[in-house]
Amino acid sequence: MTQPTNNFSAWLSQQADTDSSFAFSEAVRSPSLSKLAGGVFPTRKDEEWRYTPLGSILDSCLAKHTTGALDIGFIDSLKQAMPSAHTIIFLNGEYSEKYSDDPLGLKDAGLSITHLSQLEGASLKMAEDIILNSNLTDDNIFQHIALGLSQAGLFIEVDKNADGITPIHIIHISTAHSTTAFTNPVNVVRLANNSHLKIVEQYASAGDAAVITIPASYIQLEDGAGLDYYRIGIENAATNHVCNTSVRVGGSGSFKSHQYLLGSNLTRSNLEVSFTGPGAEAVLRGVYLGDDNQHLDVRTYLDHAHPHCSSDQHFRGILDGHSRGVFNGLVLVREHAQKTDAQQSNKNLLLSRDARIDTKPQLEIFADDVKCAHGATVGELDSDALFYLQSRGIGKKDATLMLTRAFVAEVTQEINIESLQTYVQAKIAAALDEIVSTSV
Amino acid sequence: MLSIKNLQVSVEDKPILKGLNLEVKPGEIHAIMGPNGSGKSTLAHVLSGREGYRVDAGSAHYKGLDLLEMAPEIRAREGMFLAFQYPIEIPGVNNTSFLKKALNEIRKHRGEEELDAIDFLSLIKKQMNLVEMKADLLKRPVNQGFSGGEKKRNEILQMAVLNPTLAILDETDSGLDIDALRIVAGGVNKLRTADNAFVVITHYQRLLDYIVPDFVHVLSDGQIIKSGTKELAYELEERGYDWLLEESEKV
Repeated sequence: MTQPTNNFSAWLSQQADTDSSFAFSEAVRSPSLSKLAGGVFPTRKDEEWRYTPLGSILDSCLAKHTTGALDIGFIDSLKQAMPSAHTIIFLNGEYSEKYSDDPLGLKDAGLSITHLSQLEGASLKMAEDIILNSNLTDDNIFQHIALGLSQAGLFIEVDKNADGITPIHIIHISTAHSTTAFTNPVNVVRLANNSHLKIVEQYASAGDAAVITIPASYIQLEDGAGLDYYRIGIENAATNHVCNTSVRVGGSGSFKSHQYLLGSNLTRSNLEVSFTGPGAEAVLRGVYLGDDNQHLDVRTYLDHAHPHCSSDQHFRGILDGHSRGVFNGLVLVREHAQKTDAQQSNKNLLLSRDARIDTKPQLEIFADDVKCAHGATVGELDSDALFYLQSRGIGKKDATLMLTRAFVAEVTQEINIESLQTYVQAKIAAALDEIVSTSV
Repeated sequence: MLSIKNLQVSVEDKPILKGLNLEVKPGEIHAIMGPNGSGKSTLAHVLSGREGYRVDAGSAHYKGLDLLEMAPEIRAREGMFLAFQYPIEIPGVNNTSFLKKALNEIRKHRGEEELDAIDFLSLIKKQMNLVEMKADLLKRPVNQGFSGGEKKRNEILQMAVLNPTLAILDETDSGLDIDALRIVAGGVNKLRTADNAFVVITHYQRLLDYIVPDFVHVLSDGQIIKSGTKELAYELEERGYDWLLEESEKV
């Protein structure tokens, strides 16, 4: 076994040896653990990681959570996003029975939620198959951290034809203070034929310490199933977050996703979607807001392996201070995927001269009868628009806020849950207020 | 109200205004005419505080305040208004909430209470009739997808709602058909009082059939080369600018 070359690898190898209970069986864990034992993290020489340095994670000295108190008011403020959802709370990476709304294992007209560690029989086989068949590649070291070391996770299953299910709101809260903590929840989601569900996943910090969060989600939609999946990151400015999401969409299925990266020191979000049958659709939306030295990296991979599928991606970023954004979207249209409609757009506003965006929308097309378009823009605030607002009596700061809010509102207005739209827009307004205050 | 003395302005080191003088008193309508490139729009932009213009000499005072030292939003809050030659489209910013915000900023500056949504809507409905504007344009983003005429009406609507003391209309007539011109001019005439003033910048005499000026000034090569009454505008319409330019060269 090679000696770990960095603090983080050393800490991970200790975790593998503890007697803790893990989310997955040995069968799932051991290949991942041997990958981890190899201990090789990507560097900026790897094309996939060219713009995102991992030093802030690899150099971290981690400790077990020294947890601070959790104010119930804090949970309530997060719940405002989804007041009438099933609320599931993970506290420092562990499922919290105390704070979660519903006991696990609830049966809500076709919905079942089970701890991954308590799965057995057909359900266990199903969850493991979803992971084995995922889009995430074997050299994705972060998924091996999730699979090998996760101590908590859920399997969310929806029965065939189930519709009108109460949305699920999963809130991850860290209460860490003073020492750097680690969490890596894993969720597996399966929607059977023609069923529908909405999931909102939120990551927040109640403490002020650094947290390294490495979650993974494995989602499988069978034919005709539809999932709306929202992800909101509002962690503190010391947190590093690397997440992987694999989505497989069956024939005529629909996957609609929104991501809002509104906090953290570093976030790397990797979302890989494959169509596994014809006539399916994927709608990917996202907003990232960066300030100071934040680093926000959004990656999408869309595999059009079947004909008559459509994908539509629209990501917008606003970067100020010395922050850095990365957008890397690859759309692959395979030879047999005729009548594919793939659209991809990434638009960025840079508010300071030291902010930076590396954007790389990519299309690889091997079919000949397709409609594909992609584009990226990087710009500054429109000085004509700014002057127009000022000439009507609106101060420069307010005018800047109006224009930056409007820039991302083109994405947020597509949130189809009213309370969530209000919540996200308020969070964005507050974040922009802070960003703009320091730069105008 | 507005006092401009020997104003000299350059853009990217090129002198545009070369010693412009203008006095505007309450209740007056001044028309500024002149050929293309004479500096008409530069004057409008400098007075409203747009960036990119360097004042080399001279002064501009508004209500006794040093205009050139004031931020654009402060000029607006003090009662100045520029109707843009090319109104800007602002995607994602709702026309109504924009105008409500603008009005309330101005009211705050004057020490007046902010208007709530209900009072604002009743004000805006009244003023919309003035410019015969369709209600659905209020729900749209500012100027986005508006026709040329709709944009100009939106400018006059803003002017009616913000109720300025000094309004500068920068080629508001350009690109308007006769009906739109009549509506826009009608708006201006209804807003006219003994206490406010208008500076109407135009290339053509046509607009002055509808907005009757007290004074007409001819701007050429950065200076006002002739001032007169509305009769001067008719003369320009008949004879063009050339005779005036030749006359001023002789002087």
